[in-house]
Amino acid sequence: MQKYRFVVDVQYKSNVRDPRGEMIKRVLNDEYDIPVTSLRLGKSIHLEIEAENEGDAMKLVSKACEKLLVNTVTETYEVRRI
Amino acid sequence: MTASFPKAQVVVYPGSNCDRDALWALRYVGFDAEFVDIRSHIGSDVNLLVLPGGFSYGDYLRVGAVAAREPISSEIRDFMSRGGLIIGICNGFQILIEMGILPGALLQNSTGKFICKIVELEVVDNETPFTRYFERGEKIHLPIAHGFGRYVKTNGLVNSQDNVIFRYAQDVNGADELIAGISNENKNVLGLMPHPERAIEKLIGSDDGLRVFLSAFNYIKTSSENMLQKTKVGVA
Repeated sequence: MQKYRFVVDVQYKSNVRDPRGEMIKRVLNDEYDIPVTSLRLGKSIHLEIEAENEGDAMKLVSKACEKLLVNTVTETYEVRRI
Repeated sequence: MTASFPKAQVVVYPGSNCDRDALWALRYVGFDAEFVDIRSHIGSDVNLLVLPGGFSYGDYLRVGAVAAREPISSEIRDFMSRGGLIIGICNGFQILIEMGILPGALLQNSTGKFICKIVELEVVDNETPFTRYFERGEKIHLPIAHGFGRYVKTNGLVNSQDNVIFRYAQDVNGADELIAGISNENKNVLGLMPHPERAIEKLIGSDDGLRVFLSAFNYIKTSSENMLQKTKVGVA
């Protein structure tokens, strides 16, 4: 068994409103005069997983995402090996 | 019928905080009501389940997400399939959605703020076990207290006309079509963001919530009497 580390990047789908992102964008625009035109606040989940090989590890990460980490109704995700 | 009929249970998750209000409301209208711990089991003689409000598991990850994956969820699904009545209030509604029992999603209020106030609602459908004591189109007042109550429709909600039970009279949290409460197709499951269990006494602002529990009580009583009637006719 080997350990593999991944980052799961979770974002709301583009048609889902993100009030937290909108608020942060507004502060950057209004308080700091930084011309941010779009800001979406998601979450990144760092995890380490034990598996025989990278392919198996990746399958387990996908399972974790589909079962619990991501609500695929409103969110999308990307998995990166780190 | 025995004294313990109809029977209700309030599912207590770690972080539930409206469980006592729900129990009080259920007993007030005549239910034989008790708490059920998530490590325990739903009683075989239970007629109504309430999933109360609160912040189950701190609402970490997503609201209701962890609670929805507790082993007791499969018992809740079985209970629903048998035709048992379920009311999910606030966090309970969020849990029912994460379980996939009700369609859609509940996301952060469009204002970005936690909203705690009494709001006006319209009763859209009074032909459910939970709303038979209301008039169709009646305006009622119930408290809301949520940060994540913006209902978002998804493909699962094919015909919102059939599923919507309560709408906000005015926009409060950015919900699609002002949706405040929905049911499943069979109408034995109600999920709503407003708190009927906090509106049992006029003294504290409203007693409109009382009729949600009275409706369920009456529905259970009359359907069991009908069953008895049918049995008698069958014997005769």
